[in-house]
Amino acid sequence: MTNSTTRRRFLASSAILAGSLALPIRAMAQDGPIKLGTLTPLTGAGGPYGPVMADTVKAVVDGVNAAGGVLGRQIEVVSEDDQTNPEAGVRAARKLIDVDGVSAIMGTWASSVTTAVAPLCWESGTMLTTVSGADSITLLPHEGYIVRTQPNTILQGQKFGEFTVELGAGKVFFMSPQTPFADSQFSEITKVVEAAGGSTEKLIYDDKKPSYRSEVDEMMAFGPDVVVLGGYMPDTTVLLKDIYRAGYEGKMLAFAYSVNQKLVDALPAEVVEGIYTIAPSPAEGSAAYKALTELTGIASPDPYTTQIFDQVNMVILAIAAAGDASGTAIRDAFRTVSQGDGKPVHTALEGLEALAAGEAVNYDGASGPCDFTAEGDILDCQFRYEQVKDGAFTLLKIA
Amino acid sequence: MTDIIQAVINGVLTGALIAIPAMGLTAIFAVLRYVNFAIGPLATCGAFAAWVLNFRYGWPVLPAMAGSFVTVAAIGLAVEQAALARLRPSGALTVAIASIAVGIILENVLRFSFGNDLRAFDLPLMRDWRFWGLRVGPQQLQTAGIAVAMMAGVFAFLRFTRYGKAMRAVADNPDLARLFRMEPGRIAMATVALGTGLTGVGGALLGLDSAIDPMSGSRLLLPVFAAAVLGGLGSIPGAVAGAILIGIGEELSLLVIPATYRSAIGFLTILLVLSFRPGGLFGERAA
Repeated sequence: MTNSTTRRRFLASSAILAGSLALPIRAMAQDGPIKLGTLTPLTGAGGPYGPVMADTVKAVVDGVNAAGGVLGRQIEVVSEDDQTNPEAGVRAARKLIDVDGVSAIMGTWASSVTTAVAPLCWESGTMLTTVSGADSITLLPHEGYIVRTQPNTILQGQKFGEFTVELGAGKVFFMSPQTPFADSQFSEITKVVEAAGGSTEKLIYDDKKPSYRSEVDEMMAFGPDVVVLGGYMPDTTVLLKDIYRAGYEGKMLAFAYSVNQKLVDALPAEVVEGIYTIAPSPAEGSAAYKALTELTGIASPDPYTTQIFDQVNMVILAIAAAGDASGTAIRDAFRTVSQGDGKPVHTALEGLEALAAGEAVNYDGASGPCDFTAEGDILDCQFRYEQVKDGAFTLLKIA
Repeated sequence: MTDIIQAVINGVLTGALIAIPAMGLTAIFAVLRYVNFAIGPLATCGAFAAWVLNFRYGWPVLPAMAGSFVTVAAIGLAVEQAALARLRPSGALTVAIASIAVGIILENVLRFSFGNDLRAFDLPLMRDWRFWGLRVGPQQLQTAGIAVAMMAGVFAFLRFTRYGKAMRAVADNPDLARLFRMEPGRIAMATVALGTGLTGVGGALLGLDSAIDPMSGSRLLLPVFAAAVLGGLGSIPGAVAGAILIGIGEELSLLVIPATYRSAIGFLTILLVLSFRPGGLFGERAA
């Protein structure tokens, strides 16, 4: 094979290059569809949630497109799978940012994934809206490009701590895989429990093991009144079986995203009976929540679905308010549509109408009021406390 | 002291689970000279096959295990014929890489067919027995019992049957075996069926003990590979010994290091073995 560049070939390729440069790239970018990305876990521990989240975004966008789109342009949703895995998440985010050119990425679920993806977003000026809880996330130098609808783990840890005290616990044992929020959650629980005169102990386990017998032995040796389970669904399933086999009779408290209906169905009733769960509570009864149930046909959407519904609505409103679809424009306009004295709106369509009429808007969502601090954390959130009774979740309180 | 004995018991029970797929991996290596990384997803296939038989059709545990063996052996043969066998002339590394690809495909086929949800077998869960401050689970004992029976079966097969002897002969010297009118091709297929079938049962036993999802076999790949390497790739008794040692090692390590580093024991074992005794504990082809 020869490698010589003939004059003819050089001229030909130069002509092609020159021709492609002459194409109206800028015009293309302005007139083509606005691209928004979802990066949710379609597989892995978050697999039960991600597909519904991505579908919800598409449903919202379909509605907006049918009504004429935003800024006179249609919106195109590109959905990628983060596999609940930071490495896969980074690859997918690179594709969304570099190949698809999305101006916002919505829905990253696991804190480890969000932490890994975040730098790509702020460096490329892409908005990132997430449902991850680890408090370290909004402490990153993200220049405002991260907004999350999930309460951070400091707040969640306090709630866990307060609830264990409420359950009368003197000794609390915390079992969790290595997650970006395990330490802060444990230290918040410890603060609350020690203030009430109790003591705590933690065990960080490897979440890929077929059995946790020895870990459970360590827990039993501590003799806890309440065991707090900090893991995700797959490892918690295995762990709960071993806890049952070991004959543990005390109380258990878990995140509702791990001890959920699917886990309860997958395990024998006696293993899961009596487990308490805590979750950020969706704003049931709010107009946005009602709009979401009508849109998706899901009677009681999980917290993440309500959150991503709010995220896509706010992103679309921010684009409309800014008059520009870039990630930077979304960032700058985000809080002008999420909070303030504007007209309360509950869907993108409602908000787009108000904006078109020259009114200011304040989005109130399906997950809550959706008002954010400068760091990107939500200001207000209610929690939902439930308990497993006879294979079903019974609501104890919303507070 | 009780702690140590308990950890050893737990380790032996976990090791028995790892041993079955490790035997499969090492048997395939002995005859075909490549490491089949698809065994993780194949184990998952076995778990799902047993789950379908148990949960949907109400089969008891033992017949479900047999069904799992047959199903996965069939899948293993199909994969070998369709993809891996053609690549064998390009070298063991090519086949090993192709087996990773096959594994990814299998895992996603399972995901599309069954979804991502966790599934558990239709079995009552029993509390552990306690004695002298120790505890042992009746179910773990049953699982370990099945594993031991399978190991005995495989040993007997290799030692006393024509096919078993032929497998060992081909593993030892394919050219010489051909002189004695053994067909390496057929023996290879029989080995693949045996190896992948064992892997399937291993996955199913693991599922009995915990719960299954499309990733459960892949999570097991590292300890299984470590067990086979520790015992000496190609040696069936080595794989069993390696698995038990890895099991005990992982559990004992919990007494001194945080649980989150438990997986590192697998890597550490591979590192040490390859540094000091590259042939593994039982050397090459001791079966």
